[in-house]
Amino acid sequence: MRTHIPDDELMTQVARLVHELDPMPPGLVERAQFAVAIDDIDDIDLEVARWSDNRTLAGVRGGLPGTITFFVGDLTVMVNVTRTGERQRIDGWLVPAGAHGVEVRVADHGSSTTTADEGGRFVLTEVPRGTTQLLVRMHAEQSRTVVTPTVDL
Amino acid sequence: MTELQTASMAKPWEGLEGRDRHAACMIAAQAGDRSAFDVLVAELSPLVWHVARSNGLDRTSAEDVVQTVWLALLRHIDRLAEPRALAGWLITTTRREAQRVQIRGAGQVELSSEVAEQMPTSDPSPEHEVLRDERDRQLWAAFHKLTQRCQELLRLTVLAGRAEYRAVAEALHMPHGSIGPTRGRCLNNLRALYNGDSGS
Repeated sequence: MRTHIPDDELMTQVARLVHELDPMPPGLVERAQFAVAIDDIDDIDLEVARWSDNRTLAGVRGGLPGTITFFVGDLTVMVNVTRTGERQRIDGWLVPAGAHGVEVRVADHGSSTTTADEGGRFVLTEVPRGTTQLLVRMHAEQSRTVVTPTVDL
Repeated sequence: MTELQTASMAKPWEGLEGRDRHAACMIAAQAGDRSAFDVLVAELSPLVWHVARSNGLDRTSAEDVVQTVWLALLRHIDRLAEPRALAGWLITTTRREAQRVQIRGAGQVELSSEVAEQMPTSDPSPEHEVLRDERDRQLWAAFHKLTQRCQELLRLTVLAGRAEYRAVAEALHMPHGSIGPTRGRCLNNLRALYNGDSGS
């Protein structure tokens, strides 16, 4: 016959399991602080894009190159990452197309910027690896900027 | 640059605790103090994390949601008229975002702990480690069979410390007096699931 576990003891065990088995991932606070440390946010209309689910399947989270997609509202951005030695090349495609500004921020490495061509394509080479965030500054509506959560590339 | 200027001045939240501290941070952050925002991220991310995890997200999705919620706060910071309501705003926003993620991930709506454990993630989830013993495994499995609301309440109780019912209740939009009984019911359910599991 199983003994009745008192509330206090049960709560203590739950607390232990929650702390031991499901703590925040290491570095999450730092990654979140990096994600919000965006310059010149005062006058922009920030929109938070979401990574599409297929990124885990593409293996990008494991630090392997691959294709990831993020979207917000009508905008979809596809990004393909290719290793080039210690660095990497990022090929992107924005839909709907437009000459939007693209910025790639890498923690502790500053940022790289470029402008997509009229077909919505952009390329950034020699991008350092690390905790990475993408920003898309919409050309037509200058105040509209799309940001992503970070991804470790 | 501004760091030098602000470093010499005492921060308005210094010496404060709990909601008073976070309300002071909110006011400073609304005035443009980035370090105040960083304090909020450092101290309230566990709250966001555990709400996300209670609402059926695997660890990888929960991490994205934590960042998304902070970016959303950055965006809406001037619209939060009541700085003391921050915890409640974070919980509501996290739940909504968790729902969005699940609707998008169609087939993953019923995300049981078993499924979550099989999902590929680069973050070596502590859940994958061998649990200390069989009883721990059964209790953890029982915990994941609770309703999301119960999981959330118990996780937040763990976070807040047992005494801080008021903060948890307000954050969950529950009447102060009902949180104890609700928590008791959740523990009863957990006990039943745990015993049932053990008996089989």
